[in-house]
Amino acid sequence: MTSTISKPDQERTHPKDKFKLYGLALGGLLAGLLLGWLTISLLSGTLVFGSPSFHGTVIGSPAPMSDFTLTGHDGQQVRLHDFRDKVVLLYFGYTYCPDVCPATIAELSKAMKELNSKDREKVQVLMVTVDPDRDSPEVLGQYLSHFDPSFLGLTGTDEEIAAAAKPFGIYYQKKDGTVETGYLVDHTATVATVDKDGYLRLIYSFSTPGEDIAADLKRLAKD
Amino acid sequence: MKSSLVFILCVLIGLALVACQPADQVDLVVTDIWGRSSPASAENAAFYMNIRNTGRVQDSLDSAEIDICDSTQLHETNIDDDGVMSMEHIMKINIPSGETVSLEPGGFHLMCLGLKSPLEAGEEIPIKLSFAETGELQVQAEIREG
Repeated sequence: MTSTISKPDQERTHPKDKFKLYGLALGGLLAGLLLGWLTISLLSGTLVFGSPSFHGTVIGSPAPMSDFTLTGHDGQQVRLHDFRDKVVLLYFGYTYCPDVCPATIAELSKAMKELNSKDREKVQVLMVTVDPDRDSPEVLGQYLSHFDPSFLGLTGTDEEIAAAAKPFGIYYQKKDGTVETGYLVDHTATVATVDKDGYLRLIYSFSTPGEDIAADLKRLAKD
Repeated sequence: MKSSLVFILCVLIGLALVACQPADQVDLVVTDIWGRSSPASAENAAFYMNIRNTGRVQDSLDSAEIDICDSTQLHETNIDDDGVMSMEHIMKINIPSGETVSLEPGGFHLMCLGLKSPLEAGEEIPIKLSFAETGELQVQAEIREG
């Protein structure tokens, strides 16, 4: 007898329901905006979950890199394994090269200047000559000290240099230049990064800015 | 009728004025000319610049002379997909009409051979550029910190 014809609550256009509707719309809009922002940020790389990515190409050798023995520009015997506990930036080049080699070494020098003294002590730049006939230890030393006195130049016999280059996939080949230039050397112009435990971690392609390299070094120096 | 004649005349005069401009007009603007300070032991060096051709005809950089170098060549560096860099001696660098050609690290550069004295940051080095159409241009390169 009592209100048998009353409608169920949810079917009434109660003022409360109106608020619910607005709330739902607003919530949907916000969710859409958030989803869109996340998608764009993730796609464009401005938002990264977990640890930030490295600037170099991540390699990750399955085992520590094999050792090599070369001669430092100071005449001392130098082995790669001497630098365990340091991050090693390894570059193969030659001082007669006027364009790509100084451009690369200058970026490495810029990267070192970006580091604080504590991190800098944890990093060693090594340049192995692919032109041992023209790059005597003295020439290498003078060349590198222009960029950074801590950089170490390495040379050796043809066999020693080839043995050092091979595990890093470094190619180099002498070729004829002009009468004025004499021979030139084609070579892989990348920089290999070996971490404190001796694993190959990153490869930098030519023209990677020193600032980007420094950002990676700060992380590897603390690992 | 009269006014349309005047209009046509004006159009013809305008066309004639445009046509009277030299057809081979080349206008080159060379900016951002620089080299890197060099180690004392360096036997050679590279110089870079941007060359903009605002004219209507293609030009080409055919040679360059730098007093502090025994000889200067045009070179191009190429870096392949495997990261192997290779440097070639080239005979000229084309500067197409309306375009800017950059001489920059890892690309075109002036290769200075037999550097007579090291390049010091802040120094200005005079360079004589020879173009096929424009002829000779004297420019100054700024030496930047290596």
